[in-house]
Amino acid sequence: METKAAKLAAPAKQRAPKKKMSKERRIRYLKDNSPYLLMILPAVLVVFLFNYLPIYGVLIAFQDFMPGDKILSDSTIWVGFQNFERFFSDPQFWPLMQNTFLICIIGFVIGFPLPIIISLMLNAMKGKKTAKVLQTIFNGPHFISLVVLVGMLTLFFGRYGLVNNIAAHFGGERYSYFLESRAFRPMYILSSNWQDFGWSAIIYIAALSNVDPQQHEAAILDGATRFQRVLHVDLPAIMPMISVMLIMSIGGLMGVGYEKALLMQTDGNLQVSELISTYVYKRGLTGVPDQAYATAIGLFNSIINVVLLIIANTTSKKFSENSLW
Amino acid sequence: MSEVVMKGLKKVYDNKVTAVHDVNLEIKDKEFIVLVGPSGCGKSTTLRMVAGLEEISDGELYIDGKLVNDVAPKDRDIAMVFQNYALYPHKTVYDNLAFALKLRKESKEVIDKKVREVAEILDITQYLSRKPKALSGGQRQRVAIGRAMVRDPKVFLMDEPLSNLDAKLRNQMRAEIIKLRSRINTTFMYVTHDQTEAMTLGDRIVIMKDGYVNQIGTPQEVFNKPVNLFVAGFIGMPVMNFFDNCKLLLEDGKYYAEIRGVKFLLSEFQQKALAQNNTQPCEIVAGIRPQHVTVGEGDLSAKIEVSEMMGSEYNIHARCGTDEVVMLIPTVDLTTDVSMGATVNFTTRPHLIQLFDRESGKNLIWYDEESAANDAPVCKRYDF
Repeated sequence: METKAAKLAAPAKQRAPKKKMSKERRIRYLKDNSPYLLMILPAVLVVFLFNYLPIYGVLIAFQDFMPGDKILSDSTIWVGFQNFERFFSDPQFWPLMQNTFLICIIGFVIGFPLPIIISLMLNAMKGKKTAKVLQTIFNGPHFISLVVLVGMLTLFFGRYGLVNNIAAHFGGERYSYFLESRAFRPMYILSSNWQDFGWSAIIYIAALSNVDPQQHEAAILDGATRFQRVLHVDLPAIMPMISVMLIMSIGGLMGVGYEKALLMQTDGNLQVSELISTYVYKRGLTGVPDQAYATAIGLFNSIINVVLLIIANTTSKKFSENSLW
Repeated sequence: MSEVVMKGLKKVYDNKVTAVHDVNLEIKDKEFIVLVGPSGCGKSTTLRMVAGLEEISDGELYIDGKLVNDVAPKDRDIAMVFQNYALYPHKTVYDNLAFALKLRKESKEVIDKKVREVAEILDITQYLSRKPKALSGGQRQRVAIGRAMVRDPKVFLMDEPLSNLDAKLRNQMRAEIIKLRSRINTTFMYVTHDQTEAMTLGDRIVIMKDGYVNQIGTPQEVFNKPVNLFVAGFIGMPVMNFFDNCKLLLEDGKYYAEIRGVKFLLSEFQQKALAQNNTQPCEIVAGIRPQHVTVGEGDLSAKIEVSEMMGSEYNIHARCGTDEVVMLIPTVDLTTDVSMGATVNFTTRPHLIQLFDRESGKNLIWYDEESAANDAPVCKRYDF
């Protein structure tokens, strides 16, 4: 009869060779997958070189750094969080935060649901050819460069642009949209959404193409109208995709680029068009560059994004079954 | 009463492909009818036309005596079980069952009562709060059936509902559908490509090929009296043995079938049917079911290539000249050597030989309606 001790010992005996097996298995895995691993290697290298290696540069946010200095040398002057403290006490801090936050949040509120609605509408359309033509038209603006886009805005909303010409034709006054603070945010946000809603809808259209047509048929037999089918079949089907996109959008919420804002910036709208990114650009690369300070501001902005990403992911994980990790 | 009547039903797609040609079918109230045929034969399209999911190109469809060609699917009072279950993945089992009733704006109490009743019948009460992904294939299938049941439809449509299940579960669910049918007692239209399912479930079977109905009959009728080569080959497992280049002979007023040089005097019934049709001697394809082969006697001989012992019977694959012959031989009282490589004599009883016209493939005995008057087939006549 097997003793208790022997019984307890048995699994331990079994575990020992298992470890050996896993090593062998790992080698076999590497051997079996070597072509695929080699294929992915260039991508890993690119990500490492251009995304991870530059992180080393954030060290200058904690230094008294001047252009031409080495990041790590004997002469490096470490200043701790001084650059961050400077930014928090900078009179520009709150206006920058407010401008960036408002541009991002309003853009997000309008821009996030728009592609979802468009994709659901295109998917629900009976005429599939018309839907494809519309989709192509909606995608078009994405390929317009920012410079051209702002040029178009100037042509439309400039003092002698189309809108003003029409207003003048009907006896109205010419209005300098680019010099008005009030006009900056609507122009910026609406033109961004116009440019990207079709492109952003692609991912949802792709997700919708995976919906089992039999679910629609079942809903038809159940007596669901077209709108009810969108609500009960299509929308839940793309919900995981919406969650992922939502998390990613919130994670990049404060990461608005500087190019378009700079292109649209005038002395007249500066109080609302100065964003964190434009400020970083100006302080870090123009005039007398203060790269340590600019890096600190950029790092602060990135930290806010990471915190937002973690909050969004945790919330999504808690309330739905979808999360990035 | 929930009869389904199809009169000249036709489906032509936009690319001018005709999927279903002129289907005429009367499904009686509470009848279980099975549409069977190979892929692309038009069986699912026919079912979908009844469901209202496909537009009818031509012909008339009546449900319960009412022309429903232009009636919306929800107003046809039918329910359908789909091949992939088509459950709403984000809804719980309860909500899946209740969805149609909610859309009908039934009261909460009525919905709850109906859902729980159906769940009880299908033994899925314990899964009501689960989502479909947390269920096994069989459980999902029950939910799909339940979703159709709660609507209390006049006609129950099932589109290959068991094809996603493994063999064991399929047998189990097949038995459950038979039980269910006796419980809910309504008209069923069932589509499958599996002839075993068709034979075991259907009161009558509709055999389709290339959009045409080839034969309608009870399982016994289509098995014993196939109207053409296709039906003979499609129904029955293992498949019927066909001997090409055989002859139908008429000697001294008696009909004989000559198979590989061996003459079989046909039965009285066959004589009568052939004489009545004034059938002239011709080249035929002779069909013998593997179950109807007897070994150890007769003048036909074959060399056994594969011999599979199945317990109660041997499944034998043998070669008779250029023909492959499959035989199902009961093991009881078997004295003949049926091992691989052995040569056996075999024969069959003449009345079990199916005689097909070599040109048209029609069954010389069972195809003609006039011979139906002579006690035999009830199979309807269709052009193919």
